Amino acid sequence: MVSCKAVANGTTQPRRADTDDKRKLIDSVDCFIFDCDGVIWRGDSVIDGVPETLDMLRAMGKRLVFVTNNSTKSRAGYLGKFTGLGLNVNAEEIYSSSYAAAAYLESIDFKKKVYVIGESGILEELDLKGIQHLGGPEDAEKVVALKKGEYMEHDEDVGAVVVGFDRHINYYKIQYATLCIRENPGCLFIATNRDAVTHLTDAQEWAGNGSMVGAIAGSTKREPITVGKPAEFMLDNIAKTFGLKRQQICMVGDRLDTDILFGKNGGLTTCLVLSGVTDEETLLSPENSVHPDYYMSQLSELLAVKEAAKVAA
Amino acid sequence: MLQLLQDYDCWVFDLDGTIWRGNEVIEGVLEALELLRKLGKKVLFMTNNSMKSRGSYLDKCLQVGLPAHVDDIYCSSYSAAAYLDSIGFDRSKKAYVVGERGIMQELAAVGIESFGGPDDNEKRASFSSEMLHDTQVGAVVCGVDPNLSYYKVQYASMCLLLNPGCLFIATNTDARGHFTPNLEWAGAGATVGAIKGVVERDPIVTGKPSPFLMQDIAAKHNVQPAKSIMVGDRLDTDILWGLNTGMATLLVMTGVTDEQLLVAQRGSSNGVKPHFVMDSFGDLRRVAQQALQQQK
Repeated sequence: MVSCKAVANGTTQPRRADTDDKRKLIDSVDCFIFDCDGVIWRGDSVIDGVPETLDMLRAMGKRLVFVTNNSTKSRAGYLGKFTGLGLNVNAEEIYSSSYAAAAYLESIDFKKKVYVIGESGILEELDLKGIQHLGGPEDAEKVVALKKGEYMEHDEDVGAVVVGFDRHINYYKIQYATLCIRENPGCLFIATNRDAVTHLTDAQEWAGNGSMVGAIAGSTKREPITVGKPAEFMLDNIAKTFGLKRQQICMVGDRLDTDILFGKNGGLTTCLVLSGVTDEETLLSPENSVHPDYYMSQLSELLAVKEAAKVAA
Repeated sequence: MLQLLQDYDCWVFDLDGTIWRGNEVIEGVLEALELLRKLGKKVLFMTNNSMKSRGSYLDKCLQVGLPAHVDDIYCSSYSAAAYLDSIGFDRSKKAYVVGERGIMQELAAVGIESFGGPDDNEKRASFSSEMLHDTQVGAVVCGVDPNLSYYKVQYASMCLLLNPGCLFIATNTDARGHFTPNLEWAGAGATVGAIKGVVERDPIVTGKPSPFLMQDIAAKHNVQPAKSIMVGDRLDTDILWGLNTGMATLLVMTGVTDEQLLVAQRGSSNGVKPHFVMDSFGDLRRVAQQALQQQK
């Protein structure tokens, strides 16, 4: 059994969960929030043991929520990915940053139009909330030629610009968004997330939404309201939607700087899995100050609780 | 106004929003500049617009009827090349440019090989295969790019993240610029912001308000900041550059800055405050004549 070690500077080391810890963890919370990439799946393959683990937690009466900062798909779009991987999930349990943007606008009773930089997921979620939008994929091929007489009109009814990950980012979109933010009084600047890099393929890291948001921050000299991890909004919205207190929730993720910090700042119990981006060495390194309450190799380690219960009975 | 004409021997002018807007010279400006030259003043130009080289700006000046010499024109594309030259940039390395042709021309003029720029306008990232990058890129140089794309941001980011010691150079970080007469467009700030959002570090800025080019100007034109005045329409670049380099500053209202912004800056404890303000530099002749009348 691995016990907590107090190190010289007084802080405790992160605790590798043993079977007792796992049982205590499951008993102490009513809801698990899972990051997806590196926890549930890696790229397009489900991580082994995850479907059985989720079924077990559900059978024990736990609420499950799946969060992803990826804004390209809507919740319904992600549902397709989950079911395709053999996972039993409902669309309402999926919390994508595309949904978060629409939920944020709904929470402030937004009635104007939205200019979107991003892909179809954001547009679908705005449609579901009855929010009018322009831009998105239809502006992908638009070109600006800065010659004499060139002018750009913009819709004065745009009350918010939502910036999500966009593989077709271009100067037209940047300029249109800039005009709305600069010229329309009170126009909001909302970012689905600001991840610097994203793992679209296994081969390498790719520029993330941090770049699309950075472009607009650079052309307006304004900072956005961020709705995805590690900002508070997503957590507030989840807690409110499901009628939960923070102490009733455990955040399970693979990234210290977004998932675990997000959970800690929000007052949640936190659990790091080593099946994604973070390895044990990085976690335990003296340079890391973000300590989850527990850590384990992968989510399916929780199944040990079921095994222990069988043995006991 | 007469005092200004007496006290300052060297007058440095911003271009967009001060001398012209797009391709249209602001009314009265050519005559005002002629008056300065008649009075024996040195007239220089300093623009953050990174799209053209000094030579191209000279052509534009001549086209609108403004006599000038290439040595009198300073632009941010030149500032980036001059900076890399000044630090002894390894000429066996290359520069990747996210911006217009002017930057590449200025780099070539100091013997630095560059690629990218408008030649990468049609390139698109393919996510089905690995994207490669040139390990010999020793600097990424950014300016305004009306053809900014995911491919360019990704390529620049890979150079900065994967090539040890690769420099991140910004010709400027202006949020906006008067690239056409009747609208302001997103500036180099957008290009720099996009790349910064991935690499999570700040660039070295070589254009206004960085004082870097002042050394170049002072040496070449034998000017002293104390007897010089910067004339421009932007508080956060032109006026700040003048303040940073010890010059007097004259704000004109023909470009980016409006009354509201000026009042706000004056009211704030760390706002940028110009020494003098004029509605337009084109008013110089009229204002000088009025002052002369009043003296009589």
